[in-house]
Amino acid sequence: MTNPQLDDLDRQLIEILSHDARVSNRKIATSLGVTEGTVRGRIKRLQQDRLIAFTAITSFGMENSSKLAFIGVQADVGDVQEIAKRIAELPLVNGVLITMGRFNILAICLFDDIEKLHEVGSDQILALPGVHHVETSIAVKTIKYNGRVVRITAADHRIIDSE
Amino acid sequence: MADEFLIDDSDRAIIEELRANGRATNQQIADRLNLTAATVSARIRRMEDANKLRVVAVSDFSAHGYNVLLEVAIEVDNRPASEVAAELAELPQVFAAHLVTGRYDIDLLVVLHDFDELPDLLLNKISKIRGIHSITPSIAVDIVKYKFDVAPIEAREDT
Repeated sequence: MTNPQLDDLDRQLIEILSHDARVSNRKIATSLGVTEGTVRGRIKRLQQDRLIAFTAITSFGMENSSKLAFIGVQADVGDVQEIAKRIAELPLVNGVLITMGRFNILAICLFDDIEKLHEVGSDQILALPGVHHVETSIAVKTIKYNGRVVRITAADHRIIDSE
Repeated sequence: MADEFLIDDSDRAIIEELRANGRATNQQIADRLNLTAATVSARIRRMEDANKLRVVAVSDFSAHGYNVLLEVAIEVDNRPASEVAAELAELPQVFAAHLVTGRYDIDLLVVLHDFDELPDLLLNKISKIRGIHSITPSIAVDIVKYKFDVAPIEAREDT
């Protein structure tokens, strides 16, 4: 986790785009008092450096009303990175943290069907070699959540010329 | 959540296109899906107006200089957990707060710029909230994956 040098213009750009990614470069340029070329260049660099990605977020509760669950995993310390990678590939798993504390790995899942959640935790994760224990805790209510800050990985790293 | 908002296959296809590239133009999406740009525009607007969809830039933890991520499990006593969670949610370092089932009552994700911020947060802020019986933090040493396509959507304040 590095702390790259972002200047105020970068931060203002991120702020604007985190509310609405579909604002035109021209509109952003006007509101920030810079040229369209500057906006385009900055956006491209932020994407290339994997600091931002443009995506669609849908609401909890639309169609399949997704719920959140935390699966704590106790696994062999020596294999924890490999196990975490495998957990990250499982369905429903949207977040994987390697932790020091109660568990070695925390998997954060979105689910609609509690049986499927149980399958991920107690069948798939528990069956991985080196995993000893899983503990599932279901979020019954979200009090606060920031959906705009994420880990951008190589898979999200698609540079697409927007205009 | 009493949700009667319905979407059809075209809406779903548009969402998929936007997930892959939120900056695609209406025309680009329309061409790929065999729709008109006006239809794409109207459908995106309908979902956005109902607070069901946001097309946004998400940013990496590192873009904000968040170098420390903690998961904190909290046990509550002598006070409703929802009240405690609401107070915790007011702390700017609390990135996510959920009421959960199981051994603990509240699960927090906390972000910090630096470990130096930890003592003040734990000792002077979180510990001072009435009803907190125990605080069990875990340090995230690596974020292998963290990206959610589904999240609570707040109503849009027009700017």
